[in-house]
Amino acid sequence: MDLGISALNYINSIKNGEFTVEEFTLKSLERISQVDGKLHAFLRVNDLAIKNAREIDTKIKSNQNVGKCYGMPVSIKDNICIEGSKTTCASKVLENFIAPYTSTVINKLNSEDAIIIGKTNLDEFAMGLSTEFSAYGPSRNPWNADYVPGGSSGGSGVSVSANECIASLGSDTGGSIRNPASFCSVVGLKPTYGLVSRYGLISYANSIEQIGPMTKTVEDSAFLLNIISGIDSNDNTTVDNKNQDYLNNIDAGINGKKIGIVTEMTNPDGLSTDVLDATNDAIKTFEKLGANCEQISLEMVRYAVAAYYTITSTEAGSNLARYDNIRYGYEFDSSGFEFNSYISQARSKFGPEVIRRMILGGFVPSAGHAGKYFSKALKVKSKLTAEIKHVFEKFDYLISPTVPIQPFKFGEKINDPVSFMMVDFNTVTANLTGIPAISVPYKITNGLPIGIQIMANHEEEHSLLQAAYALEKTVDLPEVPA
Amino acid sequence: MVNEEEISEVAKLMKINLEDHSDHVKRVQKMLEYFDILDDANVESEEIIVQETDLGKLRDDKYNQYDKNLLKFLKSYQEKYVKAPKLN
Repeated sequence: MDLGISALNYINSIKNGEFTVEEFTLKSLERISQVDGKLHAFLRVNDLAIKNAREIDTKIKSNQNVGKCYGMPVSIKDNICIEGSKTTCASKVLENFIAPYTSTVINKLNSEDAIIIGKTNLDEFAMGLSTEFSAYGPSRNPWNADYVPGGSSGGSGVSVSANECIASLGSDTGGSIRNPASFCSVVGLKPTYGLVSRYGLISYANSIEQIGPMTKTVEDSAFLLNIISGIDSNDNTTVDNKNQDYLNNIDAGINGKKIGIVTEMTNPDGLSTDVLDATNDAIKTFEKLGANCEQISLEMVRYAVAAYYTITSTEAGSNLARYDNIRYGYEFDSSGFEFNSYISQARSKFGPEVIRRMILGGFVPSAGHAGKYFSKALKVKSKLTAEIKHVFEKFDYLISPTVPIQPFKFGEKINDPVSFMMVDFNTVTANLTGIPAISVPYKITNGLPIGIQIMANHEEEHSLLQAAYALEKTVDLPEVPA
Repeated sequence: MVNEEEISEVAKLMKINLEDHSDHVKRVQKMLEYFDILDDANVESEEIIVQETDLGKLRDDKYNQYDKNLLKFLKSYQEKYVKAPKLN
């Protein structure tokens, strides 16, 4: 049994009776117990997975209606709520938090008979890009365990890359799906803002974050997007997916399409030469596929990281204010405490990066400083959105390396906050402007992955996935080391 | 340059107790120094785009009964009241 098969191949194998859901789930759990002590993709594994698998097998055997997922094991980033189970956001503050309701994306997966195999590790409250800020210890890159897997959805990326499950759901606020997808050599899609419901996603920066799939193939991302996208009455920011089938004509190709190569994203400070070489190679590949590639400049990209951290810190300061130990937080008796000191005591459980972003989030929109920071950041966001709108009048896609560098060693960047922020340089634009973007595994250099990012206009996921599929079909990458 | 006192004051307002705050302050200072790049962006005349949602797209404004006892998820409550620390 090949645990590395794609979702679509898994479904065909189940339909053909090559193995049962229970057999595959059992093998996946065995794989987790073999490798996760080292990789630490999972914070918790679902004790009911085998029971769920047997129930789906029973439905299959008795010719009942079976959901489209046919029991495929899917891991879930631990900032997405499932009723009755822990959702920790990899924080000590929520160490014992039991979600009182289930997120819309989980309800949709359950209704299609996916098996939630476990909850995956992340940087605390999704603030980070390496999982080094998880309160429960970092995840490790399956390509080389001395290197970070990216983040914040690092556990999700590792779980798919290391064949511990077939697919995962992550969340992407500034690249948190695409960055670990690039670092772990899996496909990661950040959908258009609003295409996927955020109901049940614990908020960090709600005006720009999105839930999205992380998968072994582009087709699998299209398959999962078919399931999780669409209007949700519990999330007023959702947009209609118009019942699109994102798998339909996914192999249409990109002949005659116009691609903009974002100049600012192909020569940022610190860009690795290996990543640049891979990007130039991908550009040649796109041209061979019949696309017309042209350099374009987006002036505001230079300021996007500063704008992104200003806006997200401000929203984090507001969103994390609820962890006051009265409604949420770790529990201790309130008697004997004065109001402010009680809340301060609760917040002492936050990790260092969350504390820093909350302080930033209090500072940048404050009286006397908002004009210099927050207002300017919002104006950069507006101008960048206008620039993006303008370029998509001429181009079908924009491309860049997903991340300017390859995976780095643990501790290498953690003490330099600016160099850390710059890792997000190429990914934050899609979040600030709300457009969809995908990372496609493209190359393995020095034993570590490199991903290529493709961006498209709002709600153009169908076309975006066609381009990603075309690129994916040109590469033949090695298997992840066992 | 943002000074240590300003950052400490904001931390206090955010009800964050910075016992060993020197490392946090230095890092926040570095991040804010980087944010100065926003001064170079030519955005003075730019209008801030506010996301607007058509009222017709919102769900009906009607009361939906929530049938779960959310209070049971809190440890500090008595009957139907949340127990909070005293305000001085």
